[in-house]
Amino acid sequence: MLLEAQALKKIYATRGVVVHALDGVDLTIGEGEFTALAGPSGSGKTTLLNVLGALDTPTSGSVDLDGQRLAELSSTELAELRLRKIGFVFQAYNLIPVFSARENVEFVMELQGVPAAARRERAAAVLAEVGLSELKDKRPLEMSGGQQQRVAVARAIVSHPRLVLADEPTANLDSDTAQKLLDLMLELNRERGVTFLFSTHDPLVMRSARRVVRLTDGRVNADQRKE
Amino acid sequence: MLLRLAWRNLWRNPRRTGIVVTAVAVGLAGCLVSMALNYGMVAQMVATAIGTELGHLQIHARGWERGPKLALLLGDGAREELKLLEQAPRAKAFTTRVRGDGLVNSPRASLGVRVIGVDPVNEPRVSRLRRSLVGGAWFERRRRVVLGAALARRLHVRIGDKIALSLQDLGGDLTGGGYRVGGLFHTASSTFDRATLLMRRGDAQALFGLGDAVSEVVVIARGQSDIEPLRVALATALGPHAEVRSWRQLQPLLAYMVEIFDTTAWYLYAAVFTAMAFGIANVLLMAVYERAREIGMLVAMGMRRRRVVAMVVLEAMLVTLLGLATGIAIALAAVWLMRDGIDLSAFSEGLNAWGVGARLVPVLRGTDFAIPVVVASLAALLASAWPAVRAVRARPAEALRRI
Repeated sequence: MLLEAQALKKIYATRGVVVHALDGVDLTIGEGEFTALAGPSGSGKTTLLNVLGALDTPTSGSVDLDGQRLAELSSTELAELRLRKIGFVFQAYNLIPVFSARENVEFVMELQGVPAAARRERAAAVLAEVGLSELKDKRPLEMSGGQQQRVAVARAIVSHPRLVLADEPTANLDSDTAQKLLDLMLELNRERGVTFLFSTHDPLVMRSARRVVRLTDGRVNADQRKE
Repeated sequence: MLLRLAWRNLWRNPRRTGIVVTAVAVGLAGCLVSMALNYGMVAQMVATAIGTELGHLQIHARGWERGPKLALLLGDGAREELKLLEQAPRAKAFTTRVRGDGLVNSPRASLGVRVIGVDPVNEPRVSRLRRSLVGGAWFERRRRVVLGAALARRLHVRIGDKIALSLQDLGGDLTGGGYRVGGLFHTASSTFDRATLLMRRGDAQALFGLGDAVSEVVVIARGQSDIEPLRVALATALGPHAEVRSWRQLQPLLAYMVEIFDTTAWYLYAAVFTAMAFGIANVLLMAVYERAREIGMLVAMGMRRRRVVAMVVLEAMLVTLLGLATGIAIALAAVWLMRDGIDLSAFSEGLNAWGVGARLVPVLRGTDFAIPVVVASLAALLASAWPAVRAVRARPAEALRRI
């Protein structure tokens, strides 16, 4: 298994109010899967994604990614794991506004220590793959939402991560643009075997996913696989 | 790319960056110009002291340091000393002088004076006295003396007037002679001008009964860095019978002023840039706060926390360096505009007492730039510490939730 979560609990206590964001989640994700975490707002999708992506720690339970137990890693090791094994796509794109599309994609590789020439070559290739060759020198604010999200996808996959976590990637896009983005991610999944795990409540994403895990009140209440 | 990111981050809010850059630049330029004017004054005091009397080095007979006396002489025309100096590559020029005291009488006044016997040919190579002539000539004819213009005013004499000089010779006998005023000099030192009478060294030697002995040898070194090695070399070669002292030893108060000036510079810059550090910290804190989500995203992507710190520190350094560069450019332009000096003739009497002329030329040295760059860089580091800590404390999951 690429990802294995067992008995995950995440409890927030704010001003005396205790919230069980995750309440005993068990989940496994295999290599090459295209899975959607579905559920209404407040069901724990984003919290689960954050815990699985080593952005947050669970109150209890364990997460193993690619054979490594996250709880046993230091913050530096977790940063290294995120850098090399996980790609992130956020709802609000979260590109670096002062960098062009190419620089945004290159930056991840720069953090990994990839030499400049290789960075440029790989960034150009991946931007071509997501259909943004023409816009490679544009900054995020000069691009549409769909184009920005494509750059975010390019940034997430450029360093060949084992897993791409996408938090409601289509939430800010119109349905046409959202469909195109989904098609792109499905193609990357099919052609390059990239493993995707989405949080979403977009029916379009749920229709495209080959597996839909439904969360309610921090618990998995359905896990459907499509043939 | 981190440097590129830090640089571009600065220009997200050009107005805010502009304000910090302007604050640093104006603060630095103000300090630099003020330091340049102050140092110009100190440099002029040193130059006056060296150029009128001291030279870079002086050689005297042993005992001169405890108190100059007519009897403390370098015999045989200081032949041994002059021979050594002729072979010293660090020595640029030198001359011998005779020093004594006397009483000068004019028809209207009688004043005590310092009598300096100079070599008319070699003296202009070590001092500015000949260039300071404001009337008459530099020992063109026999039995002519050159007076400080202020002394001539006090004596109510002019060029060509006769004066009588009385003094006590080496044997203790009263002696003297009549001379005509051949020239008048005006230096930046009013104390020197008010009480100095120059005469030919030969005349002075004859009048004081010194034979061929001289009171001192004055030396100009090739450069500032040659002064101390030359002093040590001469002192070693001449042994215990002579004293070789640099202008710093001859005028310790002046040397102390130069030293204290450099020390003050550190304190001034430290005070100015500590104040600026708070401004820089404030701006960076705002920037970090505004970019909390983005910093969270960078950490989420796997950017190490020390690189986040580096990014914030780089931004502080860049904004400071930009301010420094602008400030230095402004200061250089201001100093260039004042290259002919500021006319201080309204205060010349007071300034002359300190060896400062009526025209103050600002002087900027290499260290004047080095000190603020070091202090400002430290201030920028200090200023970035707080925002950097704020930035690395951002937990990615929380930061990404922020709008």
